[in-house]
Parts: sequence; C-alpha cells; structure tokens
Amino acid sequence: MSWTTISRALGGAGYALFFAAAFTPLPNLLAGWLVSPARLEQADAIVVLSAGIEPDGMLSDASLRRTVHGITLARQGLAPLLVLSGSGRDGGPTEAAVRAALAHDLGLPRERILTETGAHTTREEAARLSMALRPRGIRRILLVTGALHTARARLVFERAGFTVFPAPVEDWSHWVAYPEGRLELMRGILAEVFGTVYYRAAGYL
Amino acid sequence: MEPLFLLVLAGLTSLGAYLVGTHWLGLSRRDLRIAVGKMLECAGMTLLFFIINLGGGVIAILAVRTLTGTFLTLYLLNDVALLGLSLLQALALEWWRGFSAPRHGRRSVHVCSPREGTRRR
Repeated sequence: MSWTTISRALGGAGYALFFAAAFTPLPNLLAGWLVSPARLEQADAIVVLSAGIEPDGMLSDASLRRTVHGITLARQGLAPLLVLSGSGRDGGPTEAAVRAALAHDLGLPRERILTETGAHTTREEAARLSMALRPRGIRRILLVTGALHTARARLVFERAGFTVFPAPVEDWSHWVAYPEGRLELMRGILAEVFGTVYYRAAGYL
Repeated sequence: MEPLFLLVLAGLTSLGAYLVGTHWLGLSRRDLRIAVGKMLECAGMTLLFFIINLGGGVIAILAVRTLTGTFLTLYLLNDVALLGLSLLQALALEWWRGFSAPRHGRRSVHVCSPREGTRRR
C-alpha cells in the first residue's frame, strides 16, 4: 500500500469523522452513553472537583457550574460538609478559595466548607481528599463534576475508599444541534476517552 | 434545517466555485478529481501530524513531570490550535513533496495557473 493511498485513507477518515461530528447527532448519542445518571442520596460530604481558574481569579464556566451545583446540593441538606477542590495558577488565588468565598456569599456558613488546594489531577484529588476526609469518618460522598468526567472520577474515588454517589453537572445540552457545539462536545468526549485510556494504562483505575 | 445550514451554504458556494472554475477559468474536470485526491492526502497528513504532536506532547509533559517535578497538565494538548498547527505542518510538507518530486524524477506535478489552465511540469 503506497503512502498516497494511506494518506488519502487517513484524510477520508478524518473528513468522515468531522462531518459525522459536526452535522449528525453522533456526539449527542455518544455523550448519552458516557454520562452517568445522578444518584442524589444523603451523604457525609459533597465533593466538588476542580475545573480551572484564570490567574486573575475568574472561575472557568465549568468550575462555576460545578460550584453552584455543589452549593445547591448543600443547601438542600444532602450533606453537612461541602468540600471544594482546586489549585491556583501563576500566583493567582486558588480555585478552592474563590469557590469557598462564593459558597459563603450564597449563604453557606464557613464551618460547613472545606477546601483542598494541592491537587492537580483527578487522581491527586482522590488521594488528598482520602487523607483529609477518611480520618473524619467521611466515607459516603456526593461527587460533583462534569457529566462526561463523572464515570472516570467515580472509579478513581471508589478506588480511594469512598462510597460515591454521582451528582454530575449538566454542562452540555442533550439538544446541542449546531455544528460548533457538537464539535465541542465531541472534543470533550474524545478527551475523556483519552483520559480513561491513560488512567487504565497507568493503573489508576 | 438549522444544523445543516452551514453544510448547504458550503455546498452552494462549492457549486459556484465549480461553475466559475469550469466555465470562466477553463479548469479541467479531470484535474478536479486529482485536486480532491491531493486534498485528502493533505487532510491525512494533517491527521498524522496531529497524532504525532499529541503523542509527542504526552511524552514531553510526562517527562517534565517526572524529571523536574513541575506539574504540567495534559489538558494543554486539548486545544484546537494544535489542529491548526498540524494543518500548517501538513501543507508545508505536501508542498515541499510536490515541488521536490520532479527533480528526483519520481513523478510530475500539476501546477494550477489561472491564465494557462492546468499544465504539467
């Protein structure tokens, strides 16, 4: 098989994937399979995973959604403790600190808020929170993270010794139908698939 | 209908370009097939560069983490700019192959000239 044939086949596959991702419901279907259903039960703590912050202290959209969802669950009384995770960037405020300030501003007392600022990956979050929470007798957690991220995060936290109730954030619309939105969704799906493959290969799952 | 608007738009402008090309610029329909083949080759090269850039990026990030203790997120690679850069690399390589081929006697190269139509060199 000549190089020309191989490169044309690759190109054809690339274009096919682009058109399928942008102009068909394929990303919506894939996301529907990947998303874990929510299981909102009484827990020892609500754990909100990090999603990014800018050096000037602005939470990313994903981080803000997760934070608000966690605060909502806490105000519904599903757990006595709200754990907010997230480090900082380039000397700016930590994501956890900004989230904690938001939680307090939205009516949550400081004694119900715990922050974790030292983790950079999902695995590190699980390890550090396991060290911080399990000595307090915290085993059952409501895990708040992105809808596509929930499956992998759940496995990592279960491996760290927690009983996990998924509380995914609806950070994408089942009905996204415009090409840019579907391409963004497909990008998120591929990133999560890649992350899962990496975690399995590294023995983290 | 709305999700397909862009597809219909591009289809119509492509049809317009085809009509302009065949009726006004004197371009050959046979050369269009060759051009589409080259387009696929370029797309394939882009995908290949993208995969190489991704793989290289993963290795580099893990190496930095392991050797220096500095944390770099793998999400640095989750950026659409990487696809754009891969496209530029592919275009450069494809043009380089195209211009180098005649001197090595491997194959001729079709050069599109608006005034002369398609000529072989």
